[in-house]
Amino acid sequence: MTAAKAATLPQIGDYDVIIIGGGIIGAMVARQLSKFQGRFAVLEKAAFPGCGVSKASLSQIHLPDFCPPGSLKGKLCRDAPARFKKLAVELEVLYREVDELWLALEPEQVGDLEAARARAESHGATGYEIIGPQKIRELEPHVTPEAVAGLYARGLGVIYTPEWNFALIENAVQNGVQLYLQAEVIDIAKTREGIYRLTTRQGTLSSRYVINAAGLYADEIARMAGDGHIHLSLRKGTMLIFDKSASHLVQNMIFGSFSESHSQDIAPTAHGNLILGVHYVKTDKKSDTQVSREGIQETLKLGRQLIPALSEKDVITSFAGILANSNMTRDGDFFIAPSEHAPGVIHVMVGAPGLSAAPAIAEYVVDLLGDAGWRTLEKAGFNPRRRGWPRFATAPPEKKQQMIDTDPKYGHVVCRCEQVTEAEILGSIRRGARTMDAVKHLTRAGMGRCQGGFCAPFVLKHLADELKISPTRVTKNGPGSHQIVKMTKAEADI
Amino acid sequence: MARELHLDLAIIGSGPAGLAAAVKAKQLGIKDVVVFERDERPGGILPQCIHNGFGLHKFKEELTGPEYANRYIRMAADQQVDIELDTMVLEIDKTRTLTAVSEYGGLRTYKCKSIILAMGCRERPRGAIGIPGTRPAGVFTAGQAQRMVNIEGYMPGEKIVIQGSGDVGMIMARRLTLEGAEISAVAEILPYTSGLIRNEVQCLHDFDIPLLLRHTVMEIHGDKRVEGVTLSEVDSGWNPIAGTEKFIACDTLLLSVGLIPENELSKMAGVVLDPSTGGAYVNEFLETDVPGIFSCGNVLHVNDYVDEVSTEGEIAAWGAQHRIKGKLFGEKNLIAIAGDETIGQIVPQAINGQRPVTFYIRVKRPMEKLTLRIGDVFEKKFAYARPGEMLRVSLPKKVFAEMKPALTRLNVSCEER
Repeated sequence: MTAAKAATLPQIGDYDVIIIGGGIIGAMVARQLSKFQGRFAVLEKAAFPGCGVSKASLSQIHLPDFCPPGSLKGKLCRDAPARFKKLAVELEVLYREVDELWLALEPEQVGDLEAARARAESHGATGYEIIGPQKIRELEPHVTPEAVAGLYARGLGVIYTPEWNFALIENAVQNGVQLYLQAEVIDIAKTREGIYRLTTRQGTLSSRYVINAAGLYADEIARMAGDGHIHLSLRKGTMLIFDKSASHLVQNMIFGSFSESHSQDIAPTAHGNLILGVHYVKTDKKSDTQVSREGIQETLKLGRQLIPALSEKDVITSFAGILANSNMTRDGDFFIAPSEHAPGVIHVMVGAPGLSAAPAIAEYVVDLLGDAGWRTLEKAGFNPRRRGWPRFATAPPEKKQQMIDTDPKYGHVVCRCEQVTEAEILGSIRRGARTMDAVKHLTRAGMGRCQGGFCAPFVLKHLADELKISPTRVTKNGPGSHQIVKMTKAEADI
Repeated sequence: MARELHLDLAIIGSGPAGLAAAVKAKQLGIKDVVVFERDERPGGILPQCIHNGFGLHKFKEELTGPEYANRYIRMAADQQVDIELDTMVLEIDKTRTLTAVSEYGGLRTYKCKSIILAMGCRERPRGAIGIPGTRPAGVFTAGQAQRMVNIEGYMPGEKIVIQGSGDVGMIMARRLTLEGAEISAVAEILPYTSGLIRNEVQCLHDFDIPLLLRHTVMEIHGDKRVEGVTLSEVDSGWNPIAGTEKFIACDTLLLSVGLIPENELSKMAGVVLDPSTGGAYVNEFLETDVPGIFSCGNVLHVNDYVDEVSTEGEIAAWGAQHRIKGKLFGEKNLIAIAGDETIGQIVPQAINGQRPVTFYIRVKRPMEKLTLRIGDVFEKKFAYARPGEMLRVSLPKKVFAEMKPALTRLNVSCEER
């Protein structure tokens, strides 16, 4: 966009704090901010929030056993499971408790388990226990017989990040936060009064404080704010999802070894599939979420070292996400700090375990805003409760009948693999889903073993009907990703 | 709470197998028969199969899919078969208790004397074959595209590559050409098409659609919508051959890479599945190892011709009638049917040896001038056999009279002459 054209964009908002990025960090910060008095906005460049790195994660809530002693990330994810559990109740979202089993496959690796326990304990986490092969077999009968020892810890969790991302944004909006979609920030300028003027593709907005939670693009936002010295190094990680018919193979969150090129991790998902990761390769392209043949094979290999019975036949989908670490910290620690050159701008650049730490990060960011001069005044009337929506598939039988009595469309199963009903699909559209992917992430329609083979045309039709647009304008995930190219007959004919 | 009801026979699915089973069951005098259909119309996948070639055996004429379905829908109406549309069966168990849900009927539970599984199959998705690359819009399974074009009136794309030469893929190559799309290539990883020769000739060759055997999609390109695919030639071990990659610009990739019998309900009831067919182990009544539960059509094994699917439905209905009347099958003395390494799949996998029976067999690899042997009691010569075309072998009753009474196993094998 040229400067001249940008200048003609309308001013669309005036805020106290603007959050750039509607991913899980931005969403968590927005929800935290909405507890306070002020005018807040979230700018999301995509058609739906949480479709970047947040979506392409393992969706696991860890304890700080990966985090070096004294690290910020260790401090912020110390009580992650407890925080997530509380939020799950308030937001009516899924949180499934699992235990951790970190395996040593060779005697030399037992020292790594001891070190992990020491790291966790340095952050105040307790309850870790080193167990032998027999106990491992009792917990996980399908683990490789090569496992010589395991580090066992109770009370970790798994979630479905897109569901949480949406719920957090929804609750923030309910408490007065403004959400702008398809509002990519293309320029940041500062007025003499110390107000930031953000130019987006929707218009310009002004704010005294800016939270840079732009994920993979946080370095570019930093550059716009004047911090050209911040760089991100990127690693692309490949993950696989297995059909539920393989779920009996793994009950706990099982870890193996870790290096620059892999994190050996297999665990149940919140919805009862298995997720396997992560094979990493360095990349310099932020949009590089291509899955390679080698990536799939290497990931499978990682999984089979831990669970030999894993079969590639049960893989229902593969995907890649990008992990970004900034050059501002050592050992991959989080970089959450005020800008050196732009007072009032706070950068949030986190790699793993950013999801686990997200609730504490949100509080930390609000503290930094206070340090930067923002007056934090709690707001009366903050409503922490967000209404979830009932899921037909997982409701007990008597509840199922009640649901149909209230809305007969709960009796119409549209996605047969995941048993998602028409009522849920319509509900997701009425609550803001505008794309095929958004409906999928909110309802699970199309996430089962047939991957939308049967329900996709139905979802497409409902999106067109509800949004009152031609089916040709329905997209997978925003402009340019239309599902169909035209109607076979002129639309007037049908 | 769900209301509990009783049925003589529940049939799950109103496709060509389910409808034929229902009509036959009524003709055989079974009274309370209900067919459960999850779609808004009966016929299963047939209403979207608007090409012809159906019904040559059953009706001695060439019908389209919807016409074939309508014949059975009319017969079912004549027999006053109750078809519950928009109704999803959520659960069945070993005791033949079935739970179904619909908008108008709510949640209902049925105690059934007998159940016929006729749920058909689903298509193998992209994830199952692990095609690398980006994840843009414009990747569909062939059957999904078929539904879009023939039922919804949606055109999925204009320049299309098809991976896999299953029958639906080849039929869609022709169908989309007729709708004005350009089919740049049909790529098949095997050295031969995986569907019927008839479809290869009538759908690809007759329309000059390039068929690339021993080729596979190496990578999907495009950020928002498919912009192209990279194809590569493969060696006999399906490994890509370096230097043979070629980029083809397209806006759509269709997948026709296999069909999977949809046995999720069968598994809930404890029905044991045969890994080679993906369907249940059955005897010649098409009864599974769970007494009173029968399996027929594409949920049992993927068929080539709809007529055979309907015939299987009739056999299952006949078996169900025996069960309901309490007549014994003599299932205690079953003869196991076992294929050797030339045999890809065989149905039924066990027989009683008292009645004439038809075996449905697929060879593992293409063969020419072959002799198929069933134990030492029967043999039949074929000019050729391919995995894509099912062999049908009927054993007359007199064959069994010659068998030793203590026989517990019959080996099936093929040999090239």
